[in-house]
Amino acid sequence: MTHRSVVTRSAATGLLVAVCLLTACAQRSEDTIVVGLSADITTFEPGMISSRDNANIAQHIFGTLFSLDPEGNHLPNLAHTLEISEDGTAYVYTLHEGLTCHDGEALTAEDVAYAFNRIADPQNRFTGNAPGFVFTSIGFQDAEALDDLRVQINIARKNPIAFGLITEIYVHCKDSYEQMTLDEAASSPIGSGSYRLASWTRGSEVVLEKVRDPGTFRRIAWRIIPEASTRTAELIAGNVDIITNVVPEQIEAIDASGRAEVRIVSGTRRMYLGFNLSEAHRQLPGGEAIQDPRVRRALQYAVDVPTICRQLLSVECERATGLVNPPNDNADLTPYPYDPDRAETLLDQAGWQRGDDGVRFSIRLQAGRGRYVNDVNVVLAITQYLEDVGLDVEMELLEWASVYTPLLRERSMGPLFFLGTGGGLWSPIYDMTDLAEVESGTNYTHWSDERWFSRWAELSEAKSEEETRAIIDEMLEVFYEDGPWLHLYFQPDFYGVSDRIVWEPRRDERVHVFDARLR
Amino acid sequence: MGSYVLRRLLQSVVVIVGVTLVSFLALQAGGDPTYLFVSERASLEEIEATRRALGFDRPLHEQYLSFVGDLAKGDFGQSLSYRQPAMEIVLDALPATIELTLFAMIVALLLAIPLGVLAAINRGTGWDGSITTFSMLGQSIPSFWLGIMMILFFGLYLRIFPISGHVPFLTPLIAGDVGTAFGNLPRALFHLVLPGIAVGTYSLARNTRLVRSSLLEVLEADYVRTARSKGLPERRVLIHHALRNAWLPVVTIIGLEFGFLLGGVVVVETVFSYPGVGRLLFAAINQRDIPLVQAGVILMAGIFILLNLVVDLVYVRLDPRMKLAEGSG
Repeated sequence: MTHRSVVTRSAATGLLVAVCLLTACAQRSEDTIVVGLSADITTFEPGMISSRDNANIAQHIFGTLFSLDPEGNHLPNLAHTLEISEDGTAYVYTLHEGLTCHDGEALTAEDVAYAFNRIADPQNRFTGNAPGFVFTSIGFQDAEALDDLRVQINIARKNPIAFGLITEIYVHCKDSYEQMTLDEAASSPIGSGSYRLASWTRGSEVVLEKVRDPGTFRRIAWRIIPEASTRTAELIAGNVDIITNVVPEQIEAIDASGRAEVRIVSGTRRMYLGFNLSEAHRQLPGGEAIQDPRVRRALQYAVDVPTICRQLLSVECERATGLVNPPNDNADLTPYPYDPDRAETLLDQAGWQRGDDGVRFSIRLQAGRGRYVNDVNVVLAITQYLEDVGLDVEMELLEWASVYTPLLRERSMGPLFFLGTGGGLWSPIYDMTDLAEVESGTNYTHWSDERWFSRWAELSEAKSEEETRAIIDEMLEVFYEDGPWLHLYFQPDFYGVSDRIVWEPRRDERVHVFDARLR
Repeated sequence: MGSYVLRRLLQSVVVIVGVTLVSFLALQAGGDPTYLFVSERASLEEIEATRRALGFDRPLHEQYLSFVGDLAKGDFGQSLSYRQPAMEIVLDALPATIELTLFAMIVALLLAIPLGVLAAINRGTGWDGSITTFSMLGQSIPSFWLGIMMILFFGLYLRIFPISGHVPFLTPLIAGDVGTAFGNLPRALFHLVLPGIAVGTYSLARNTRLVRSSLLEVLEADYVRTARSKGLPERRVLIHHALRNAWLPVVTIIGLEFGFLLGGVVVVETVFSYPGVGRLLFAAINQRDIPLVQAGVILMAGIFILLNLVVDLVYVRLDPRMKLAEGSG
């Protein structure tokens, strides 16, 4: 071997080693799990957190009084017991002894009360999920420490889902937060959960370090990777252990990589085509037709939901029968089959025969764009199915955030509209509260069937679980037959999981990595 | 010179105010941003309270004038999403973008000059054809597509370069932590290779064509013919006579190039999960975080204006035929 070739080979080897050290060949630490998220994190202020990705990290930093397991069962967390007053307006939680926050400060009932009251304080102008949804939903009044370990949460009125919603409030310590400005609290949280914030590079990475159980890995690195194909590449390259929001087109590439696989879970988000039954919409083309429950029922048979799932979402799904997530739904109800002939017959019987041009009636279908998995194609498919049975559908795809959302708030989209609303596994009533009142902000359809709305009073007075269940099932039957939704599916969630680890995704969109472990 | 600079700086204030007005109106045209800051199930009362809290209940002109008034006092406002001073957030992200832009610019210029010269002195040959074809491709390929292709090939298939992310160099350097900065340098450079090429390819292609055409023009000039007729070696003619003059248009675009590349990083930073100003702005626009967008836009516009001014001044130094137009600006 000549001197020159030795030098050349040495240089090449050196370069390769350098490259390996710098990049791809470097092995990941076995005590760190890396999660790739699609959206940026904006705050760690407990009163400001609103996005799911933000909450996924926060729930590892902050403890809650109780928590939910993947099946929706309540588990003790910072508190071990709960007593509810007879009138249902006072929730008394008893904390575990010896709790501390990440700065070492003892965590007592006074801290819990402070955390709740601080989040609710209008002077702080918090607009996150806790003050904006949880507290208003339960009619939060205030919180008070009864002694060192017992804290009482006061709400305005009895509420069957208050217990579940309170699990979403992040507890933090009084002394540390009183000393912090709001800016500091947003960027340097002092939590009460299993992990503490080690570093946050805005727009890039959040690293958490374990301070107590539960938690398998010593560190969790949350990397922000907005571009779907980049997330997929990082997963296949072995640089990331879990990625969220895999797009259906990339499932095959991940599964074929031999290094990772896609896990699909049926999420809790209820996807449906709503019928807006308001008086204003009655005047619009098609508005009169859909007032008739027979027409709404007929259209249930017109859409082939399993095929939409298979072809457009890359999953096999069972069509939904209502607004409650399985297994809390009415098990006696059978999903509507795809039967366009029957749909046509029922439409004929309802008095909406095809005209000379083959059209029964015209109607507008509105949808937001880019919010749900493959939403544009799903809406296109539904439009085609409805046109196949004789409807003339004017489809409008609207920008989600600033055009469609205001319509939603005013409950003025439609007469047909495509929507997905978040649900839960821990209570059928939670899923049903979208339609708790005719004028409720989430009754986007203006549906007012007495057979549904008159039962809420009975539901709150039910004396036993069996009685509650019976009322729920009867209500769900009405909703199934004459309700304001064309039932579609529960949105599937797609996660990419490295072969290096064992981790099961949850149905409720929460990414918990406390119990993830190396294979 | 002094009055020229002063006048240009005053003009830049007008430009910046115009930029803020256009970006403000463009963001407002997208609809009411309040809905991005409330829960999915928020009631109309909560939405109204949030609208008030964020100041979106005021008339548009009032919102804008209030913003400009604060701006005059050096207050860029608070980011709506981060609840922190907007300019502070943008400045935090700026070093990463400068690293990327400088890297892309160096790649673009270091390669463009030899490639352009090679094409010019071999005009009409296979070299010229190949380089010209490459230039056309480089100007035609969208940077985000090129980025994704490079991720797949160099990051995933060959596994040579990191797929995404950033290792800071300038940030610790600015903070005075020289040890960390230079300790990070090799990894920082490695992380810059793919996004840097994705950002710089268009400029590389354009500059190559510019150098080629500029050199071809000079090579046909009388003084070059004179130099050759005097019997000077071709190498000397090329370096001392032709390139010196062909260099002028390239110098002009160096400064502008930096501004152009700054604008081009938005999509590439998103593709490579690179935490710079471009990605921050992209997210802020989606989030209708108006103060953050304004802070980013003002900073970018300011840099661009400053670079233009510097280029003008440098150009005058390099080309004695040029004079600053004192009267017209």
